[in-house]
Amino acid sequence: MIPAAALPHAARRVSPRTLARVFLRSLFLQAAWNPRGMQNLGFADAIAPALAELYPEPAERARAAARHLEFFNCHPYLAAAILGGAVRLEERVANGEAPPQSVSSFKSTLGPPFAALGDGFFWLALRPMAALAAAATEPFLGLGCVAVFLVLYNLVHLSARVWLFSAGYARAEGVVEAVARAHMSSGTPFLKACGAALAGAIAARGVLDAGLPDTPLEGVLVASALVVAWAVLPRLGATRAVYIALAAGLVLGARLL
Amino acid sequence: MLPLPAGGAPHLLLLAALAALIGGLSAVERKGALQLMLSRPLVLAPLLGWALGDAQGGLVLGIPLELLFLGGVNLGGSLPDNESLLAGAMTATVVPAGLAAGTGVDPALAAIGLALLLPIALFGRRLERASEQRNSQLLEEAVARAERGDPDAARVNVRGLLLPFGAAAGICALGVLASPLLALVRVKCTAAALLAFDGAWHAVWAVAAACAVRAIRDPRGPALAAISAATVIAITLAVRGLW
Repeated sequence: MIPAAALPHAARRVSPRTLARVFLRSLFLQAAWNPRGMQNLGFADAIAPALAELYPEPAERARAAARHLEFFNCHPYLAAAILGGAVRLEERVANGEAPPQSVSSFKSTLGPPFAALGDGFFWLALRPMAALAAAATEPFLGLGCVAVFLVLYNLVHLSARVWLFSAGYARAEGVVEAVARAHMSSGTPFLKACGAALAGAIAARGVLDAGLPDTPLEGVLVASALVVAWAVLPRLGATRAVYIALAAGLVLGARLL
Repeated sequence: MLPLPAGGAPHLLLLAALAALIGGLSAVERKGALQLMLSRPLVLAPLLGWALGDAQGGLVLGIPLELLFLGGVNLGGSLPDNESLLAGAMTATVVPAGLAAGTGVDPALAAIGLALLLPIALFGRRLERASEQRNSQLLEEAVARAERGDPDAARVNVRGLLLPFGAAAGICALGVLASPLLALVRVKCTAAALLAFDGAWHAVWAVAAACAVRAIRDPRGPALAAISAATVIAITLAVRGLW
């Protein structure tokens, strides 16, 4: 067998085991989120095992590690695609097929659009929808509703994260096209519509709980409180709204019940 | 005498340690690691409630808290109120109080707990800012180490989890230790006060549902929610023969 060192042109590749380590570390992307570099420490820490394998020479490895301390920010899940792509690009850099700057520009170009995509889909659509589905099914499922939330959310979340990382590594720059074909932004309005309908069902539950079986006035009061709260929330904020509701509910509860 | 859960003071200390562990881990899971949503009020409250002896009681708190904070989103550098810290602190205080008072988590305990502890959500946001400042120091350390040629400089990353863990653990443990005081208040409640708190909790639910509708940032949201609410109410009344 010929030792690897004797093959100067043998392509340097990251092993599947190391890729798995990079992915696992990516789950800690925001452990040291900081105002100056945002997710930079998390990104640099996640990619470190790949750099250790690609750059056997310590000075070269240190230089590669240092360049990942540059500013980086994205949605924490969508960042998996950029991390996977960065590993692929580092392979090219290690093999002399691309300049080190290509990794930096890949990261800084894809960070903001992927962040917007992830925020819109995961934070503003999937999470509220899954939580509302759990809250709406709680009267029937009891504690089982927690499983509804976790399964609905994480089935999508975890498969997306694994897929994004693999697609990023497989395609590097081509990941943009793959993500665009995943139709995440077109699924968002549907999830939001489901969320709105579920929120309505939960509002109905609050009204029915107060009004049934024989206190219809209470139900009407809760319904009115709900509409008023909805109208004033943007100006009042949730904290003040809760305190006002607690006080008003106490007064009304003491007199009417 | 302060009401204590079965097992007395030693058991209360054990519960405080459990709350510290689960509360601390939830603070880490919320942003720094995994983000499987285990730290959302909907999951954390029943989970911590289960560890403290009353999962159902935790759920009673978890659902309205989840709805109240449903619209809070961490976008870029902006921080929402810390719903996990509030859910942890509230469950740690209210669930053992319900067990000690022998009432479980009822509207009175939930309403008093929320009134007393709601500012913790805002405090949690400040704490997160402080934690970010601490992370800036970790970054400086990593940069200095990288300049010296250390390829593992970014390993300081995981140390960013310590401060959120410690702060949340301490607050949740304090919640358990303060729970006998809340239990005492609950035991002293008159029947009239209980009815008043019932009203207060219904009002909180109304605000929570309004927050949930607001959390769907979509122009069609309010109309869809109104149609859905009217349908659910009509069907329920029809099924019960009331309409």
